[in-house]
Amino acid sequence: MSKDYRFIGKRTPRKDALEIVTGKATYIGDITKSELLYGKVLRSPYPHARIKDIDTAKAEAVPGVAAVLTHKNVPDWRTGMPRHVPVLDRKARFVGDAVAIIAAETEEIAIEALDLIDVEYEKLPAVYDVEEAMEPDAPQLHDDFPGNLVDGFPVFGPKTLSEVVVGDVEKGFEEADIISEGTYGYESIANPLPIEPPGVIARWEDEHRLTVWSGTQSASWHRFIMQSKMGYPDIRAIDTQCGGSFGSKNYAPLPLFYAAALAKATGRPVKVCFTKEEHLGAFVLRPGSRFRGKIGIKRDGTVTAVSGVWFVDTGAFSDMTQGQVAVGCGEAQLMLRCPNWDLRTRLVCTNRSASGVVRGFGGQELESALNPILTMALEKASLDPVQFFKKNYVKPGDGYIWREGNYWVSRGTDYSETMDKGAEAFGWKEKWKGWLKPTAINGARRTGVGVGVHGNADVGEDESEAYVRLNPDATATIYVSVSESGMGQRSSLCKMAAEVLQLPLERTHVTPADTMVNPFDFGLVGSRGTYAVGSAVIKAAEDARHKLLDLAAPKLEAAPEDLETMDGMIYLKERPEEGISWSRAMGIMQTCMGFGRFEPDYSVPNFLIQFVEVEVDTETGRVDLRRVVSATDVGQIIDPPSLEGQLHGALGSAGIDTALFEESIWDRTTGHMLNINMIDYKWRTFLDLPQFENVILETPLPTHRFKAIGVGEIATSPGPGAVRMAVSNALGKRVSEYPLTPDKILKALGKMGRGKTE
Amino acid sequence: MSSMKEQERQKIAFTVNDVSYELEVGDQFNQVAPSHTLAHTLRETLGLTGTKVGCDQGACGSCTVIMDGEPVLSCMILTVECDGRYIVTIEGLQDRRTGRLDPLQQAFIDNTAFQCGFCTPGMIMAAKSLLEKNPFPDEQDVKEALAGHYCRCISHYHVVEAVLEAAKKGR
Amino acid sequence: MKPFKHHNAYSIEEALTLLRDYEGRARLIAGGTDLIGILKGDILLDYPEALINIKTIPDLDGIKEDGKGLKIGALTRLSHIVRSPVIEDKYGLLEEAARSVGTPEIRNMGTIGGNLCQDTRCWYYRYPNQMGGRIVCYRKGEGPCYAIKGDNRYHAIMEGKGCFAVCPSDIAIALTALDAEFMIASTGGERVVPITDFYQTLGHVLKPDEILTKILVPKPPDNATQTFLKYRLRESVDFAIVSVASVISLEGGICRDASIALGAVAPVPIKAIEAEQIIKGKPLDAKTAEEAAEAAVADAKPLSMNAYKIEVTKILLQRAIMA
Repeated sequence: MSKDYRFIGKRTPRKDALEIVTGKATYIGDITKSELLYGKVLRSPYPHARIKDIDTAKAEAVPGVAAVLTHKNVPDWRTGMPRHVPVLDRKARFVGDAVAIIAAETEEIAIEALDLIDVEYEKLPAVYDVEEAMEPDAPQLHDDFPGNLVDGFPVFGPKTLSEVVVGDVEKGFEEADIISEGTYGYESIANPLPIEPPGVIARWEDEHRLTVWSGTQSASWHRFIMQSKMGYPDIRAIDTQCGGSFGSKNYAPLPLFYAAALAKATGRPVKVCFTKEEHLGAFVLRPGSRFRGKIGIKRDGTVTAVSGVWFVDTGAFSDMTQGQVAVGCGEAQLMLRCPNWDLRTRLVCTNRSASGVVRGFGGQELESALNPILTMALEKASLDPVQFFKKNYVKPGDGYIWREGNYWVSRGTDYSETMDKGAEAFGWKEKWKGWLKPTAINGARRTGVGVGVHGNADVGEDESEAYVRLNPDATATIYVSVSESGMGQRSSLCKMAAEVLQLPLERTHVTPADTMVNPFDFGLVGSRGTYAVGSAVIKAAEDARHKLLDLAAPKLEAAPEDLETMDGMIYLKERPEEGISWSRAMGIMQTCMGFGRFEPDYSVPNFLIQFVEVEVDTETGRVDLRRVVSATDVGQIIDPPSLEGQLHGALGSAGIDTALFEESIWDRTTGHMLNINMIDYKWRTFLDLPQFENVILETPLPTHRFKAIGVGEIATSPGPGAVRMAVSNALGKRVSEYPLTPDKILKALGKMGRGKTE
Repeated sequence: MSSMKEQERQKIAFTVNDVSYELEVGDQFNQVAPSHTLAHTLRETLGLTGTKVGCDQGACGSCTVIMDGEPVLSCMILTVECDGRYIVTIEGLQDRRTGRLDPLQQAFIDNTAFQCGFCTPGMIMAAKSLLEKNPFPDEQDVKEALAGHYCRCISHYHVVEAVLEAAKKGR
Repeated sequence: MKPFKHHNAYSIEEALTLLRDYEGRARLIAGGTDLIGILKGDILLDYPEALINIKTIPDLDGIKEDGKGLKIGALTRLSHIVRSPVIEDKYGLLEEAARSVGTPEIRNMGTIGGNLCQDTRCWYYRYPNQMGGRIVCYRKGEGPCYAIKGDNRYHAIMEGKGCFAVCPSDIAIALTALDAEFMIASTGGERVVPITDFYQTLGHVLKPDEILTKILVPKPPDNATQTFLKYRLRESVDFAIVSVASVISLEGGICRDASIALGAVAPVPIKAIEAEQIIKGKPLDAKTAEEAAEAAVADAKPLSMNAYKIEVTKILLQRAIMA
């Protein structure tokens, strides 16, 4: 199926492997700057309160404290979409919201001084439920957002999708054989929780130039997104190795604000590294999602109409959530081919820490909330879900409105074969007994299976640029603004360039992730690294190669088209033994610079289907995930272990486990996040690993030279719905909540024991 | 009975990766405060940043070092209680003069048993300790040894393969 | 962490003297796996002025066995308990409980005494000060119990009185079923306290000038079935949501003796006396087990979100009896 390349598709050691296994890989916590100060945040005890007065005199007097800032004296920068989040506000909107910031010689001094800041709060009522927040008498979080409804924001241009209204839903429902409706939520509001908390060092070189160090997923966001929010300083963003992100550390706007504001006030570099508690309770969470609507289908599985309202809970503010709403609306169309839509959205603020970018980016949220309504319809029609997905997942030639509001026609693959191969590997035919039927019963233990699909047309999103410089010593330097947060993309891009140039991998290097050095790259989001960034790098390598062969041609008395280069030698194709070195071709005082740029392309959706098998102990209510099979088609594998790792990632980053035990838990009277530590926030351990298989097809895709596409981002999204389906089948009863903890299972089985409820 | 002041420790001496250190107890820069954790001392005072701090709560395993032959969480240990201890960190595994890697490190490279790499030093130390005690582990032994290690990228499957491979090659 | 002074004690007397000299402003540190977390979170109303290290006291660790039973030094690391051949052989319940604690690294650091004396995990109690201020609650001496009206899914279903946090120690549950006793040293001498008297609603009964020094475990009957069942969401890291420990002897198919303890259902370990009475003298079948389980939870008073724990307790108890 796939071509036999020298590097592409082969297992090669990652370029940063040696640094990682020797502890030399440098993360933000590992670096220091001279005269560094440490920044710490004072946080609100109340979920909603006005700051009536704040007195920092005692804190400022502590020896070693260099600055204390409050809403009264922070720079007038604003982030968020629209710009409604100042550095520090006159209000606290969740327990743990920032109230003041301190820079001191050590963290201990800063923490000690925090206790000396006197704040007088006026407590306000708080609201935690997304629909309650929209009621007329609900507490108002932002003056800018009456009814707590966050404005739309043209994050993807003026026609950014905030609803899908197509065709005629009334007619569609009339044509339906089965209509299923209801209100369901996906409100685990889990935390992608990379192991490394966010951290930033900020240093003003002069009044105008700011250098920012941070471990981020997208190397340029601290420059090109934050510039406009801070009065357009010249920001140089330098990336350290990033200890995981899963969307949430694409950037760290508030830590950056704090560090930069304190650095401005003190004239010294300031480091703000969040603790794990801050990471859990005051940093990016998944949006909450609730869908009230209906779906109409024909008995043969044709979807005739989808209508409803998607309520998205973004917590205390919105930073990119409009983007997730847009992509969610797009992804729902990929999954459900349907001519008639009336899907509206409401983006709402509530008194909890804010949601932000998380892997799955809106699609996981919408699909998981839609899932019970969809599966009820399939159940009534007795349709095998795999057959349904095969019929309805967008095929080449099908159209969809993508996030920026334009209509796109898919040039991708028909993923039916992927679904079949996945089903085969899983044993779906034998295991699927029909809706609400367990696969096996063994005393109190019941096995159930489920399946979900997901895909994203963002694989070709946004712009990328790259330079490739060929050096006389037969090395190549790739200039691309790419950081390393786990996908191995810095290494994979070297493989692409090395393949084009036929240079050993050891002789191909990527520049440090530094916006001063590199051209523009949007970032590693939406699995765009392989297609979008890859395309720019490939083009740049090809461009450089052309220039090199142009230089060599006269020296070999040949036309450039007749030449080949391999391992630093250039030769006529028919006379490989008579080559010249790169240094002879270009001279030792010259380099060859190629350039490549990628323009957005939303026409190639990727795809992943995930089969799950669960075992439920119907006596204790515990659900164990026994087996996962993921199937996808990547066109061409670039790096096998990196791809496998990304697919295994379904068990991390607030993915499949949001259906089992992963959630953020708040007390809805006091507003405290209760599971604000690494024991009470549940994550999968080595002793809880299911059997996991990846089925990877390689059907060349119309992307770039290597016909490849990325899939890392979508690995997590089909899981929650699939698990919900599997548990329902195991129990023989529909369960619809996330996560399906034992108390919910026992309640569904009517086994709650005596008690004040039921 | 000695007074409270006399009983306070004045100097702490320990070995890290076969290098001996003697640190004074106190509040000054380059001294060890009683409230400093071993992770803090290793990283900030001794500049050995290979040991990572992921949660600082003893719940993720990133800060694992081997102390007197046992894998322990350096973020939950007070440096002032490490007098006389023999500590090995990730920096101590590679032979500095020859560059030769510990078989575990090589196996992690060969199996790409990492993604973001942050949890890797802690995992390698725990695995190293396992192999020192049990050169013939099976898959379950490896998983149990790593049961306290948080990896959100989910490199678990590759890690288990790497450790088993290192065990085989080391024999 | 906020600063503190640190002293190494080289004898029990020294440790007790230091405790007395600091007049309640010092705390003992053993393995530190609980205390360091408490200090980092700054969760309590008082922060110690000094820590007194008792790991430097010789002979406070070690496992000795004679015909009558075990003597375990309070400073014995949990990993040593797991690795002890005599404990694995004859006190399997204790070995299983120890092995289930936390993670391998925690077991290398934590001591049995520390595990028995550890503070509760109630998430209101443990709320970190840096995230908006510690929560001051009934257990801390002021204020209500927030779990009553709040999220009490992991809290007590029985014997809650003012405080509804559960005793988190797995070892305590195992030792309750094993009828252990604790040796406690103080300036006044030594006293022996049965485990059933060691806990009360707000924690253990150690006075400010006392140190737990030894755990005494009588030898269980030779052919007794020892079972430890720990119900939790994950196979590592997690504390118990419900646990059951049992030592049950059968003779000719009839239950001759039974000692059953329930964990994580109350602020103290619960000896399931009613259940023991029901199964003694009877053959162990499903019906008897069910009857015993019902009796064990007959007085349960669930809160708004933890009624499911009653069901789980019943099931675990039945499974332990039928093991």
